[in-house]
Amino acid sequence: MAYETLQDIENCMNNGWSDGLPVIPPYGSLVDEMLSAMGWQASDVIGEIPDQNIIIRAEKAAATAVMAGCKTEYGPLLKSLSLALLDPKFNISGVEVTTGGAAVLVIVSGPIVEQLGFEHGANALGANNRANATVGRFAQMMRYFCGSGGGVLVSHGTVGHPGRLSFCIAEHPTTEWEPYHTQHGLPATASAVSIMSAEGPNSCNNHYGETGASILDTIGDCMNHYGQTAWYYRSGGFVVVIPPDHMALVKAQFSREQAAQYIYAHARRQTDDLTNVGRIAKQPIPYAEVEEHSMRSPLKSIDQLSFIECGGEGGRFSAVIPRWVGSQQVVCRPIE
Amino acid sequence: MTDKTPTSGGLTLPSKQLMSCGDITCELLVDPIPRPAPEPIKVTIKPKLSRVVLVDHLKPNSMAILKLTQTILRERGIEVDDQILVKEDASRPMPAAMLDSLSREGGLVLCGISD
Repeated sequence: MAYETLQDIENCMNNGWSDGLPVIPPYGSLVDEMLSAMGWQASDVIGEIPDQNIIIRAEKAAATAVMAGCKTEYGPLLKSLSLALLDPKFNISGVEVTTGGAAVLVIVSGPIVEQLGFEHGANALGANNRANATVGRFAQMMRYFCGSGGGVLVSHGTVGHPGRLSFCIAEHPTTEWEPYHTQHGLPATASAVSIMSAEGPNSCNNHYGETGASILDTIGDCMNHYGQTAWYYRSGGFVVVIPPDHMALVKAQFSREQAAQYIYAHARRQTDDLTNVGRIAKQPIPYAEVEEHSMRSPLKSIDQLSFIECGGEGGRFSAVIPRWVGSQQVVCRPIE
Repeated sequence: MTDKTPTSGGLTLPSKQLMSCGDITCELLVDPIPRPAPEPIKVTIKPKLSRVVLVDHLKPNSMAILKLTQTILRERGIEVDDQILVKEDASRPMPAAMLDSLSREGGLVLCGISD
């Protein structure tokens, strides 16, 4: 590598053009190639954050994609992902600055997973794979660069989590239930990218359970611990990650809808306990919808629960990913 | 060389266009960070009136803290509005009508307070 390029990397890092890791310098010629791959002109307006008086043009997204190390062949995916990130429903500035320390969780599903070489098996939630790592990094850099209002806003994340550097999960191309994106209105045959703001994943281990119900009970218990942010207002939701060994038991007993219904019905805690430990206010506001002396679900409604099938064989683990409570909608877009 | 890597959640931006100058030619580096134009919010440092308006944003304990604030300020002889305004969603920007109304307030607006 030429010394000048190392200087350029240092120059970027010393001037705030970085997520904390070394970046590919966004040379104009590389950004032009990425723009072409994304199907945009540099000056195309691709999003707006009215409260910050910010208009985001395509060259910003393309430069960020180059810096994150993305290949130009990811262009169509990155175009859909950029539009999802800048969709007002996603609330990108809220995700950036919240005390909740949320990251952008990117879920890639459909034929695109194999076409672009995403890892969907071993270590699916933290794959050492270029597609997963750089697409996930791109999303976090967009959150940081755009969500901070051009340096006006400051993140107040209390502890955050490692996903704020990169957080991208790819689903198995062949699934036992329908693909992930069918839970958000897209046809099973589509390739899609879905985003939501999320806390870090909680691992759910069960090596001795012999039924699907025992696996779902384990997952539900993980959703139910005192520390879940959801208890106050239940406005977030959860993504349940089910790898093949647990799926073999669950699918034998439940459809996806039945599994969601089972968890919603069974994963509950006594409101009195939650109040005593401080997880519900003693005088809750109406929005919290607290019913005293009842069993409380961490979900306000069943559609806040979704399932993704990924992960390797040979280990009896699942995972629960709590969504951040302040960005209540999943944004799911097809990849054209 | 000064390291401008942020250490407290802030994003420090370059003061001039970054260039790459190799052996043959200089190439522009494309700025990835959008900037607000014009300035998003004008903040008046010193209130015109000696009065405090409190805004709750429904985070845990926020109303309790604001009510205590109201009591303490009044004990110290400071005028505080009886009504504590409510912003319905802590995670979303303040609604435009509310922001517009508060921007015309002559006193001090205290909001975003919780533990």
